[in-house]
Amino acid sequence: MGEWNLVQSVEELARYNTPSRIRSVAALALLLLPPPLPSSLSPFLSSAMASQIIREWSGINTFAPATQKKLLELLGKLKQEDVNSLTILVMGKGGVGKSSTLNSIIGERVVSISPFQSEGPRPVMVSRSRAGFTLNIIDTPGLIEGGYINDLALDIIKRFLLNKTIDVLLYVDRLDAYRVDNLDKLVAKAITDSFGKEIWNKAIIALTHAQFSPPDGLPYEEFFSKRSEALLKVLRSGARIKKEAFQASSIPVVLVENSGRCNTNDNGEKVLPNSTVWIPHLVQTITEIALNGSKSIHVDKNLIEGPNPNQRGKLWIPLLFTLQYFFVMKPIEGLIKKDIARESRPAWETREPGFRKRDLY
Amino acid sequence: MSSSFSASNNLTATLSIPLTRQHHRPHPTRPSSLKCHHHSPDSHPHQHSHQPPPRLSLFKTLSISSAAAAVLFHCSPLHDLSNGGGGINGAGGDGGGGWFGDGSSGGGGGGFWSRLFAPSSAIADESQSQDWDSHGLPANIVVQLNKLSGFKKYKLSEILFFDRNRRSKVSAEDSFFEMVSLRPGGVYTKAQLQKELETLATCGMFEKVDLEGKTNADGTIAVTINFTESTWQQADRFRCINVGLMQQTKPVEMDSDMTDKEMLEYYRAQERDYKRRIEKARPCLLPGSVHGEIMQMLNEQGAVSARLLQRIRDRVQKWYHDAGYACAQVVNFGNLNTKEVVCEVVEGDITQLVIQFQDKLGNVVEGNTKIPVVKRELPRQLRPGYTFNIEAGKQALRNINSLALFSNIEVNPRPDEKNEGGIIVEIKLKELEQKTAEVSTEWSIVPGRGGRPTLASIQPGGTVTFEHRNLQGLNRSINGSLTTSNFFNPQDDLAFKLEYVHPYLDGVTDPNNRTLRVSCFNNRKLSPVFTGGPGLDEVPPIWVDRAGVKANITENFTRQSKFTYGLVMEEITTRDESSHICANGQRVLPSGGISTDGPPTTLSGTGIDRMAFFQANITRDNTRFVNGTVVGDRNVFQVDQGLGIGSQLPFFNRHQLTLTRFLQLMKVEEGAGKSPPPVLVLHGHYGGCVGDLPSYDAFTLGGPYSVRGYNMGEIGAARNILELAAELRIPIKGTHVYGFAEHGNDLGSSKSLKGNPTEVYRRLGHGSSYGVGLKLGLVRAEYAVDHNSGTGALFFRFGERF
Repeated sequence: MGEWNLVQSVEELARYNTPSRIRSVAALALLLLPPPLPSSLSPFLSSAMASQIIREWSGINTFAPATQKKLLELLGKLKQEDVNSLTILVMGKGGVGKSSTLNSIIGERVVSISPFQSEGPRPVMVSRSRAGFTLNIIDTPGLIEGGYINDLALDIIKRFLLNKTIDVLLYVDRLDAYRVDNLDKLVAKAITDSFGKEIWNKAIIALTHAQFSPPDGLPYEEFFSKRSEALLKVLRSGARIKKEAFQASSIPVVLVENSGRCNTNDNGEKVLPNSTVWIPHLVQTITEIALNGSKSIHVDKNLIEGPNPNQRGKLWIPLLFTLQYFFVMKPIEGLIKKDIARESRPAWETREPGFRKRDLY
Repeated sequence: MSSSFSASNNLTATLSIPLTRQHHRPHPTRPSSLKCHHHSPDSHPHQHSHQPPPRLSLFKTLSISSAAAAVLFHCSPLHDLSNGGGGINGAGGDGGGGWFGDGSSGGGGGGFWSRLFAPSSAIADESQSQDWDSHGLPANIVVQLNKLSGFKKYKLSEILFFDRNRRSKVSAEDSFFEMVSLRPGGVYTKAQLQKELETLATCGMFEKVDLEGKTNADGTIAVTINFTESTWQQADRFRCINVGLMQQTKPVEMDSDMTDKEMLEYYRAQERDYKRRIEKARPCLLPGSVHGEIMQMLNEQGAVSARLLQRIRDRVQKWYHDAGYACAQVVNFGNLNTKEVVCEVVEGDITQLVIQFQDKLGNVVEGNTKIPVVKRELPRQLRPGYTFNIEAGKQALRNINSLALFSNIEVNPRPDEKNEGGIIVEIKLKELEQKTAEVSTEWSIVPGRGGRPTLASIQPGGTVTFEHRNLQGLNRSINGSLTTSNFFNPQDDLAFKLEYVHPYLDGVTDPNNRTLRVSCFNNRKLSPVFTGGPGLDEVPPIWVDRAGVKANITENFTRQSKFTYGLVMEEITTRDESSHICANGQRVLPSGGISTDGPPTTLSGTGIDRMAFFQANITRDNTRFVNGTVVGDRNVFQVDQGLGIGSQLPFFNRHQLTLTRFLQLMKVEEGAGKSPPPVLVLHGHYGGCVGDLPSYDAFTLGGPYSVRGYNMGEIGAARNILELAAELRIPIKGTHVYGFAEHGNDLGSSKSLKGNPTEVYRRLGHGSSYGVGLKLGLVRAEYAVDHNSGTGALFFRFGERF
């Protein structure tokens, strides 16, 4: 625990530093930290050098102290598992609160939200580091445009994700929607088509607008379970995941309330009507998913463009050609021979007088 | 008189049989068919005196004139074909039965049959224009022939036959009427009438015959021919023998002062000879059915009469001529007055086949073409030893014509002077110029600024073609063509093709027909892969230029079915609108801009690919025309097998199978002018590729030859495709209307084409259409509804979909 306090103090120190001084702070941390850490920090350093600027996760301080504590615990848990960077991909339909959720997690207004306009078509990656741990959250534009999947947006997202590893997929939708429709299915399908079925092993469904009273006096928990069940069902069919496989690695559903008017408990933590403290709960779920043993999805060229179709089945070509020769061309030749034999010849051709004396001439 | 067929070189070849210059007598009974004309032997000099000149009117039907490749089919008269037993006939003036071998009186050495088809029909024609004289006698009196004046020209009002045996007039349909050349309304002199009577008397039909006239009030006379028909004892067997090419027995002169014993001896000898002759003779082609018919005719009739024999002759000859044996003739009936009637036929056996070349003036020259090249096109049935058949001749004409080496082809059966009854088939050929060159120009109006045709942009374009054919007389040829749409700047779009064709790869005498073709080519096509779907109207086009060399061997199984295999080496360049090489297709961004990171156009990613691959195509086509509409099956399988030679070592197997079936839905009678049957066309096309597949080799869906109602490639471009179509054709007034439904599907393989152009250009990947259409000559007018957008449109297309 002492180490963590130390780290925290270093971080606090760093908070007041400009980004250009982060490296020196990191070096300082390197000096101060006990042996296990440097090895885990070095990737951070190299990644810091590679992507040049990774800002300090200062927003965490805006959370209630209890929340902060829980978050740091979770980060520590991740560290124990040798995980010191996490990339979360946020996807979903437009206007469900993807960017707001991101802002809520980071604790800053990193991504501008515009309630009535759809955001720009470019994905944004927000990286924050805290105590040698880097959190990358990728916000993406809404996938739906005019009732169809926006292929262009999807394509841009895929290109943006090139050479990145997705540890967690945060699929965002609203809690206060009553119905599921074909669009959800299409989105699920588009995600599966782009990143493969495996991504659903790394998925979390986040339902926003959780501070909401279900209609007709339906108990909150019941509404929540019904809603998540319906959504899961449609996603499952869209993602073409078999039921058994889906149940084996069931996708957790978490609730999110991004509104500033979110209720708080005694500790000043944001709580939901079911008295869940949602930010720690979300991060906890993220941690669980990140550590659930399934492989993270590395987005490479193959994944974006699919496996090179030109290579598929190449080995079988000689066999295929042989089969074509014997089972297509030869039978057709046989049919031709049959045609020739069956051809109705004019009488003069068939009237072959066998008794003709050829030796006459 | 003339039948025509369309030859491959688009010139109408007329197959016709003129009555040649030497012919002596047009045949009156069958005036409109291919005939061999037998003229009567010299032993009947009287025949010659009223030979008509060649009837010029018949030549009018031979309108060959304009066609450059007119194909003539001559059938010239056969001399002395009916010379069998000429000696006997020569003495046939006695009694009248000279031309029927009389079984009892000498074994039937044969007689002249020619008499039977000897009526000279043209006498009347000759004199028709002349004035005629009134008989100058009281009306309604009977005048004997010898009472008529030798200086007058009599006009005949009618001709009657009176059978003395039956005491009745003979109806006008009777075969006797074709015996006489006299026609009602004709004008004749006494001498002509006498000759006619003489002809009748010597023809053997009658035991007794005379001619008398009855005067009419208007100065004309009605002629009555009184006759007694020759009859023989009843027969119950019939035999038909082929006496062609047989040595004719020269009968021993019969002395008038022979004793009875000698006479008996003589007849016995003749009978023996005839028996031997029958034994030696070959059976003829006459089928059992006709044989049975004749047996029935014999059984129905009591005694064998001349008329019966005439009917038998007609029946036999009709069969021969219907079957195409145009030179077959019944020359004699022998063995009369026995139980068996023997019908002697000269069938027209081919003794020799002569192929000769002519120059432009018709002189026989040494041709450049090797004889075996022509010989292999001839049906076996034209070789010596077979009976000459006009259909075999026509087949030979068609086959030789399809060689496209000759401007004029004549197949001409000619009597063999050395072999009586034999036929020499003469094939006369006029060779085409070996070297030809042709320039055709066209002025095209090209779109100028704003897509409007502008006068300033009219460019001279055209094609230069040259051909050097029939190299070494073995039908090898080199031909080439050069096409550009702008002769001022030919580098813009110069298309060329140079081809060497080498037929008879296994030797000209080998029955295997394999042809080697080597060609180098280039062409430019708009890629249908880079086409927008219904929502996307403007996709920048991609041009695919191909240049390369191709060598393949074609093995022809039948005229339509063949197997082709060979190598293709080509360089493919993809260019954008402004002819710059481009490696990727362009796409229009939602903002309106154009990005050049669309699907890759080539395998190498540079815009230029080179590759070599093996190509094989097997086509089975047993379609045929039933009253002008296609019926049958057509199956095509094509495979392009990459060999790993070229940029990016392309290795692939691209295959497509097309199955088309034209189902005849109703049985119809076949024949010219008959209406064609309704036909259901079922069509399936599968295309697939394993391995490297560049965009220019992808299968595209949509278009007039894929799924109608869509633009080329409008449905998608994919790795595997399936097209299904059905069309129902209903004949209507010489053409047909049709309804169709088609479907094209990418089988989900659009995404396994690099860059997924189907998706990039917003295409669905599958689509159906249906519609109706009307065939107007070569043009199809059809209304097709595209099922993806639900809208219909009217299209005009050339050619057939299937």
